[in-house]
Amino acid sequence: MAKTIIRFDHATFGFSDVIALQDISLDITEGEFVGVIGPNGSGKTTLCRAVLGLMQPMGGSLQIFDCACEELRCHHRARIGYLPQKGALDRNFPITVLETVMMGRYGALGLFNRPSKRDRDIALEALSHVGMEDRLDSALGHLSGGQQQRVFIARALAQQPDVLLLDEPTTGIDITTQHSVLDLIRHLHRDLKLTILLITHDINMIRSSVDRLVLLKTRLYAAGPPEEVLRPDVLRQVYGKDLVITEKDLILVEDYHHHH
Amino acid sequence: MFEMLAYDFMQRSLLAAATVGAVCSVIGVFVVLRGLAFIGAGTAHAAFAGVALAYLVGLPPLPLAIVFGLATVWVTGVMEEQGRMKLDVSIGILYTATMALAILFIGLMKGYNAEVYGYLFGSVLSVTPDELRVILVLSMVVLGVLLTFSKELYFIAFDQEMAEASGVPARRIFYLLLTLVALTVVVSLKTVGAILVFAMILIPASTAYQLTHSLSHMTAYAVVIGVACAVGGVLLSYGWDLPSGPAIVLLATTIFFLSVLLSPKRRRRVQTA
Repeated sequence: MAKTIIRFDHATFGFSDVIALQDISLDITEGEFVGVIGPNGSGKTTLCRAVLGLMQPMGGSLQIFDCACEELRCHHRARIGYLPQKGALDRNFPITVLETVMMGRYGALGLFNRPSKRDRDIALEALSHVGMEDRLDSALGHLSGGQQQRVFIARALAQQPDVLLLDEPTTGIDITTQHSVLDLIRHLHRDLKLTILLITHDINMIRSSVDRLVLLKTRLYAAGPPEEVLRPDVLRQVYGKDLVITEKDLILVEDYHHHH
Repeated sequence: MFEMLAYDFMQRSLLAAATVGAVCSVIGVFVVLRGLAFIGAGTAHAAFAGVALAYLVGLPPLPLAIVFGLATVWVTGVMEEQGRMKLDVSIGILYTATMALAILFIGLMKGYNAEVYGYLFGSVLSVTPDELRVILVLSMVVLGVLLTFSKELYFIAFDQEMAEASGVPARRIFYLLLTLVALTVVVSLKTVGAILVFAMILIPASTAYQLTHSLSHMTAYAVVIGVACAVGGVLLSYGWDLPSGPAIVLLATTIFFLSVLLSPKRRRRVQTA
């Protein structure tokens, strides 16, 4: 029986008067590949911030790893490698690929400790996992969107995490690159035995990769293997008329607002 | 040329200028990258208000300058975090309010006080041995803290939320940076003056920003440029009998515009266009 490493127990999250996630109960076990889906504003990013320990539950509880602490301490955060949603990177920000990945070591190192040769080796290994080891001194801003995504994944890996938390890793990059980024994530799950928590609006992209899907819209509507969650009656509760089911039984959820 | 180095005052002012040039340009790297330029400019005026109050009530100027500078920088930091009002508006209000306080304190003084104006416009050639000692000690403290927390400071400059998420105490580091900005401003007040100090923080770092794609190189270039401009400005000021603050700042500004014209980043953009 695999160990539970993240446990939401009737947890509710929000900001002062707005509830973003309500009464969530969910166990994530070691080595799982979990996809979190739901429409815009369904609380996906809140779930992400909660797992990172940036938000405390207003009700219920959230346990991460083996400790029951209310607030994640810094050394716990370092065990979760996080790929944030692709923001607008300032292309002129003066930072090299290696300098970016080395930042992944900083949280784990703690204050007062300077990066050593070992940290550099860990960063180089992380870069080789994502196939960017020959671009160490390139300016981050000169890379393509897909390459930048790889570098940011390498930064997450440099933390030597147990969990990889990816927030919309395939949004904002072209379709070929989306597939290669997803291949990379599958490879990391398989070869590095990482627990993967992938948040996305693109169900079709991940349905064949994940062990389990979690369907959110403020509340948790379903959690289980893709064939159980991706049923019209289940999805319609969340997506309503935005749901289109084609002849080939492919499920397309068009989320036009997402790109604006 | 070299006989001027025999004068004690000249040695003091060159040492003061070089120290201020170094500390301003290192903190400037983080200010430029984290986007805190306006916060710092406001702090300089607040610190000057502290100096004016000190002369009005007959207290030593430095501690009050530190108190005013820190109070302003922390208040603006809180405002940035909460984001209730647009930051440029709230800083604009604080900035002018502290300047109004400074003018009020000066107006309440009996007669004209040349020393107060020294803090406004800078007078590196009149730095006393005591003042030099304070500049050296405070600069060492600021540089030491910057060096100790450099990896965290770089991280929050690049992406504060990411830093927080990966286990760096990012909020505390952000306030540490604000504190260091205030201390740097106070250290530099006497040398370049409240009006011009922020040029010394922004220009060397922005010049270095034009020239490199690496964080470590940017810092190294900024220090070289900052120290060279400060020392060069003092020499110009002595040689041609110019006010020292403007001499330093205008020299730095000239080099900044040259770097914009010659920037490899700019060339790349022209080529790809």
